[in-house]
Amino acid sequence: MWKKLANYLDLVYSYFGFNLKAKLEYRGAFICQVTAMFVNDCIWLAYFVMVFDHYPVVPGWTSADVATLWAVTAAGFGIAHCLFGNTLELARIIAMGGLDVWLLYPRALLPHLVLGKMSASSLGDALFGYAVYILFLRPDWQHLLLFTVLTISVAVLFLGFSVLSGSLSFYLGNSETLSESWRNALIAFSTYPLDLFDGKVRLLLFTVIPAAFVSGYPVEALRKMSLVDAWYSLLGASLVLAVSIVVFHHGLRRYESGNMVAMRG
Amino acid sequence: MSFLRKYAALAWISARSNFAYAGEVGGRLMFLSVILFIFMCVWKAAFANAGQDRFAGYSLDEIIWYLALTECIMMSSPRVTALIDEDVRTGAIAVQLVRPLSYPLYRLASNFGEQTVKFASTALVAVAIAWVLGGPPSNFGTGAMMVLIALPMAFVLDFLGYMLIGLGAFWLEDTTGLMLIYSRLTMIAGGMLMPLDLFPEPVQAILNALPFGYIVCGPARLLVHPDWVSLVSLLWHQLFWVVVMGTAVALVYRLALNRIALNGG
Repeated sequence: MWKKLANYLDLVYSYFGFNLKAKLEYRGAFICQVTAMFVNDCIWLAYFVMVFDHYPVVPGWTSADVATLWAVTAAGFGIAHCLFGNTLELARIIAMGGLDVWLLYPRALLPHLVLGKMSASSLGDALFGYAVYILFLRPDWQHLLLFTVLTISVAVLFLGFSVLSGSLSFYLGNSETLSESWRNALIAFSTYPLDLFDGKVRLLLFTVIPAAFVSGYPVEALRKMSLVDAWYSLLGASLVLAVSIVVFHHGLRRYESGNMVAMRG
Repeated sequence: MSFLRKYAALAWISARSNFAYAGEVGGRLMFLSVILFIFMCVWKAAFANAGQDRFAGYSLDEIIWYLALTECIMMSSPRVTALIDEDVRTGAIAVQLVRPLSYPLYRLASNFGEQTVKFASTALVAVAIAWVLGGPPSNFGTGAMMVLIALPMAFVLDFLGYMLIGLGAFWLEDTTGLMLIYSRLTMIAGGMLMPLDLFPEPVQAILNALPFGYIVCGPARLLVHPDWVSLVSLLWHQLFWVVVMGTAVALVYRLALNRIALNGG
């Protein structure tokens, strides 16, 4: 098992290198996208800090908590889609019959397919998350270590969720818009404190839109240095990833080739 | 008259083609529902925790109606930057230039048709959601009428901002980064997330000196606080910024045309 994991991590590293080189072919555009996303996140954070400072939205929440929330969410999302950028296009790939070319490889389909592309702007998200946490919150090494683990946990959740939402195309045909809206709903809920929501909505945030494992437990874990909350985060993220793998492979049985001629360089 | 007729026909064609994308409309409306619900939770909590029934003259219900309209304006915002970027990159602009049309006016007319349809379809649902969450508004008839008077110039102003960014494609490798930052500025500095009156006073002074508020906040404020003096003031400000931005677009477009090199074929 460890050998397989090491082999896969090696593949992830190689793909990251290839994808980065491909992006750097258009160096200006790449730098522009990364910088723009970084600036975009800074604008959002400045706005949220101002609102939470002026209005008592959640009692006990300070600007540091808001920054932690944004840092965890942005870094997790960024890592997920910087390494596994193809998940953002999964719905379209399935609907267009684009899996054919991936099915020809001797590698397992899903873990290989998700590596196929890098989202340049996501690199800006990841850099923003770490920059804010290190420069704005000035953590000790225990907090930084926990932050790193939790951003990986959030990245796993985003990876699983993107696969899950993209897999809708197996069942509904071209569900690109629906998939994107569902993912946007997760991002929207993940940028607000979980304490704002109660009742049935809270139930939704643990299931259909699992923002509790992005903005809920990870932020609480960092606020209170709570390993229990960190475990809940990891558990939730692993569960979402497991469900997405099952749904993808169930859906794959319904996949029909589009006879599309494609070539990968 | 025939000069105007061809641009009106373009706007109509663009509007009709947008009726065809039911999936996209569905996705947009789903996201709208999520966002409005989150905003309601945020402001409900802020009002409850502050123990106040008004912030800067706005009640909770009025804020919900305000946000419903700002969301409609932002969600119907144009994609003109991406289209110009594509025209320049693919060379399709050469085809546009030989037509007996002004390219910027062609884009304006086409954009106006698209934005009107998007706004109308979003507004129908937004009104229903706001009615459920915020109850019936007071002075809805007068407010809605004033919004309809203020919107056309807001759309033109919004278009000019995006057009200016889009023309950057003549000089830059990629304009998506600039567009991202510009759209975030419109969202936050324009008052999409909360009325500009709720910002701290020094920030308000800066925001009022920028054009963004006259696209988003100005029309939405009229819906909840209809007032003829405010309407006239808004229209004057919009006109001022349309002239300023229109002149900037004309100048940049002229410079951009000098950079085009065409080869026959």
